[in-house]
Amino acid sequence: MRAASRYAWIAMVILFCIAMTILLVLSSGAHALFETRDAKLASVKTVGIISAVGDQFTLAKAGLTGLDNSSRSFPILSWGLDDLIVQQATTALSGRFQVKPVSYQRAVFAGVKESPIKPVEIVRGDPFEKLVKTEVSPQGLDAYIVITKAKANLGGGGRKVEGIGIVTYRAVLESYSQLYALYEIRIVDGKTFDVIEKMAATPLDNAANVRLAGPSRLIDENLSTSPGDAGDENLHRAIVDLIVRSLPITLSDMHLR
Amino acid sequence: MSRIQAFLRCFAVKIARRAVSVSLLAAYCAIAALPVAASGQTAFTLPAPPFELPFLPPVSGNWTVTIGAEGQYKPDFEGAKASMLSAVPIFSIRRAGSADPFRSPRDSASIALIDFGDLRAGPAAKFVPARLQDGHPELFGLGDVNAALELGGFIEYFPVDWFRLRNETREGFGGHRGVVSDFSADFIVPVTRAITISGGPRFAWESTEAISPYFSINAAQAMATGLPIFNAMGGAHTAGAGAQVKYQINPQWEVHSYVEYDRLLGDAANSPLVTARGSVNQTTVGIGASYSFDFKIQ
Repeated sequence: MRAASRYAWIAMVILFCIAMTILLVLSSGAHALFETRDAKLASVKTVGIISAVGDQFTLAKAGLTGLDNSSRSFPILSWGLDDLIVQQATTALSGRFQVKPVSYQRAVFAGVKESPIKPVEIVRGDPFEKLVKTEVSPQGLDAYIVITKAKANLGGGGRKVEGIGIVTYRAVLESYSQLYALYEIRIVDGKTFDVIEKMAATPLDNAANVRLAGPSRLIDENLSTSPGDAGDENLHRAIVDLIVRSLPITLSDMHLR
Repeated sequence: MSRIQAFLRCFAVKIARRAVSVSLLAAYCAIAALPVAASGQTAFTLPAPPFELPFLPPVSGNWTVTIGAEGQYKPDFEGAKASMLSAVPIFSIRRAGSADPFRSPRDSASIALIDFGDLRAGPAAKFVPARLQDGHPELFGLGDVNAALELGGFIEYFPVDWFRLRNETREGFGGHRGVVSDFSADFIVPVTRAITISGGPRFAWESTEAISPYFSINAAQAMATGLPIFNAMGGAHTAGAGAQVKYQINPQWEVHSYVEYDRLLGDAANSPLVTARGSVNQTTVGIGASYSFDFKIQ
C-alpha cells in the first residue's frame, strides 16, 4: 500500500512537470525563447553589413615542425577584402532585404578574442552583441550582419588557424600547403541585440584529405605564389576567389537569400 | 578439464569472430546503401528543427558523420592469460570540414571545456564492463564485479604538433570506488597526408579502492578458489606502450590498426589471481574501418 502510494506520488510529479513544460512552451514568453531563426528573420526588413576579416595574412606551419612552430603575419589591408565582402554580401542580400550602409571601427571588431574557457564564453555571452550596440551607426536597423574571422583546428593537434592565410603541412614523405579564408557570419537582432544565427563558412569541397573547417584549397602547380608578400597578385586573387565562391553559399545556408 | 576449457575458449573465439564478421558486414551494407559520398556534396538534407533551444548553438549547417566497426582482440579480463575477439562500433558526429582530433586507443570519452590550442582540459568518462565469473574458469569462486562508471577529467598538452602528453584522472562508481590516473605520451608522425603513425609510453596509477575489487582475495574467495588470501594495495598499476597507424584511403574511408601493451605492476602483478592463473602481460590489438559522409540541416 505504501509502495503504491509512492508510485502515485511519482506519477503525479511527472505529470505536473509535463504539464508545466507544455504550458511553458505554449506561453508567449516561451514562444519567443524557442522561436526559430526563420521566424525571427521574417520580420527583418533593413540590414547593415559589418566585415572585419581581412586585415592580416598568416603563414602557419603544421605537422612535423621544428620546436618553434609559431606563425607569422603580414598586413593585407591594401587588398580591401572587407570592402569586397560587404559589396558581395550587399549584392547577395539585396533581393530580400534593404541593405543600409553602416559605419564602424573595423579594428574593434577584428580585435575580439574568444575566451579559451568555454563556460566563461557561455556566461559572458557573444561579445559582438555589445559591439553592435555601441560601435555601429546608425542604430535602429532590423538586423546587422557581422562577418568576422573564424578559427579552425590544424590537423589532429589542438592548434588553430584563424582568418586568412596559408598553412604548410610537413610529413615525412611530402610537404604541401593549403590556402584558407576562414570567416563566420552572425545575424544580430537590431532591437534586442541577440544573435539570431551564427554560422562559419563551410569548406567548398571535401576532396582534399587534409581538411580545414572553412573555405580552403591546396596550393598546387596551378597556383604559383610567393607567400610573405602582400603584393602577390596570384595570392590575392586566390583568396578573393575563395570568398566570392563561399559567401553566397554561407548566406544561403543561413536562409538569408 | 583443460580440454573442456580449451574447447570453450575456442568456441568463444569463433562466436566472437562471427560477431565481428557480421558487424563488419552489416556496417559495409549500411555504408553501401548510402546514396552520396562525402565528396563535396551532402548525402541528404534534413529540415530545420521546429524550435531552437536557448544557450545552445544552432544546429543548421553541414555535419560529418563517421560510422564503422573495429575488431578488438584483448584479454578476457584484466590480468587474464587468454584473450578474446570482440566487435566495437565506431560513431562520431562533428561539424563538416573540421579535422578529426588525434585520439589514442586508450583515450576515454572527453570534452575540452578549456581550450588554449596546445593545452586542453575538460571532463572525461569511461565505462568499465562487469567482470563475470561465468565463462571464465579461472574466476570461479571469486564472484562477479559489477560494471563501473569512471568520471573525472583530462588534461593534454601539445608542445609541438607531433607530440602529445595526456593525463586522465577518474573516480569509479559502481564496481569500484577508487581513483585511476592514466598517463600517456604520443609521438604523432604524419608519413604522408594520408598515413599517420603514432605511439608512445603509457603508465597507470590506481588507488587501493580501484585495485582491490579485481585483485584482492578474501577468506571466502580463498576457500572457494584455493588461492591464498591477498590484500591488494594501490600504487603503480601498469606500464607499457602503444602504437597505431591510420590510413585515410580517401575523404570517406579510413582504416586503422593499433597495438597496446601493458605490464601489470605492484599488487596487481603480485595477486595470486595473476601469478597462479593469469599473466602480467596484457596486449590489446585492434583493427577497424570507418566511413564518413556529410549531411545538412537546413
